[in-house]
Amino acid sequence: MATATDPATFRVERSTRSLGFNLPQRVGRLLWLPMLLMAVMLFGAGIVLGIVRASEIADGGAPDTIAALQHVQAGIMFLGFASVFAAISFAIARILGQFRAGGGEVQAAARRTVHTLEMPGTAKLFLGLMATAMMTLVVASALHLVFAADIESTPASLADAEDRFVVLEGVRRLGVALFLFAILLGLATIIRVLRFQAVRMRELPSEEPLR
Amino acid sequence: MAALAHLVRRPPPDADPRQTLRIRSVSVAIGLLGVALVSAALAANLAVAAGDADADNLLWTFGLSVAGFRTLKLAIALVLTGIVVRLWMRVDAVEAALQRLKAEADPGSTRYGDIDTPFGKGALTEKAPGLLPPQAMARIMWRPMVLMGPMLVLAGLVLSLLATGADDPDTVQAFWAWTQGTQFLGEAMLLAGISFLLGTILAGLREGGGEVQESLGLAVKTLHMPTSAKAFLVLMFGGFLLGVAQFVLYGIAAYVDDPATWFAWLGPLRELALGILLSGIVLALFTIGTVLGFQHWRIRQIIETGR
Repeated sequence: MATATDPATFRVERSTRSLGFNLPQRVGRLLWLPMLLMAVMLFGAGIVLGIVRASEIADGGAPDTIAALQHVQAGIMFLGFASVFAAISFAIARILGQFRAGGGEVQAAARRTVHTLEMPGTAKLFLGLMATAMMTLVVASALHLVFAADIESTPASLADAEDRFVVLEGVRRLGVALFLFAILLGLATIIRVLRFQAVRMRELPSEEPLR
Repeated sequence: MAALAHLVRRPPPDADPRQTLRIRSVSVAIGLLGVALVSAALAANLAVAAGDADADNLLWTFGLSVAGFRTLKLAIALVLTGIVVRLWMRVDAVEAALQRLKAEADPGSTRYGDIDTPFGKGALTEKAPGLLPPQAMARIMWRPMVLMGPMLVLAGLVLSLLATGADDPDTVQAFWAWTQGTQFLGEAMLLAGISFLLGTILAGLREGGGEVQESLGLAVKTLHMPTSAKAFLVLMFGGFLLGVAQFVLYGIAAYVDDPATWFAWLGPLRELALGILLSGIVLALFTIGTVLGFQHWRIRQIIETGR
């Protein structure tokens, strides 16, 4: 019968105490709130910039100002999305940390060998994709701000600004898609951890207590 | 609807926890499809920027990108249903294990009422408390939201194709406005559906935790609704209402004389609606983490003290 200790089912680390949180989980516990607060501020700034740009258009403002505001608004808003998706990822890491540390503490309280699930492949992919998505969104947003400073009131410059916006729009969307996929993998990891915890809890009573 | 109901059905108590859930790999496959759709839209955007395709194509690439996001969020909703099912298996496993691991203790006298825990204020009751009203609502509401959201996004994709093929500027304006309004209402519904699924997970944690303690003949310790959960509710409903508002406003923008002005502030407004919903999701996940911490603490307490 396969058990939690069976390497074919789960790869585990054995110890006499809970292993506590790993590094990504500690980072997640620390950073979810600053990221959320930053996102809220950036969303607020993004909507204000949108209103300013709308009023420029309504008042027949200079085309270069309107084009620059379009870039700045998109850059700020998507920095906000990068922050909120990072906050979600960190909150998922925090949940995984609760399972790792809490599950270990329960086994230690029962005076049994503590089995801790090794980081699953989906969790490693989650971390890698999250970092990639974050970089994609941050770089695209930064380029929006750089290009906004580069716009002049000439037809060629305005056309360039439009083309750059179209490209960065596509890149931003890909960044969001990668973030959503990373979050999906983080949640898929929770399913695996829940499966491990259920198997481990069921086999715990039949094991000999540690002295 | 019946298939969706089946997804989160509680497995029998003797269900083998070692069995794998197909929903997990299905969700990942659906998620990959979503990334592929957005990548295709990016390729078309690059072609437009390079002058290899007309700017009209940007209308359908928008529709396709949002459809890609919809696919990814649907995959996230599916994986959350898998978590709900797995949580019930965990409840049954913990209940079976604690019957044998619980320390022997004198029944003693119990003072019911409010208690302090390392995870916030709670209550000590004789019986398991029922679900909180938002949790009961979440269990019902996630299904219609997860069903209707993708339908609206798909309708928006069709509208974006119609906008691409139209010649008359007024018709393009109308189709383009309805595309954005409809797709982002669908997105808001999907995010609300995901929020309700997170509420369903919180409901399962509360119900399961109470059930385990009651079955062991113990007084039931339950956390009061954390502040993060209250803030989650406010953000979720606020974001959803803003999502409905942007749909109505795009309906007006479809027929105004100065659409550029309207689109300039409606774009950030619809993004703000999604941002607020996503912020609510952060708080829901934080609350789940807090409740899990409380549950592990309570399980330890039962093992060590039997009370």
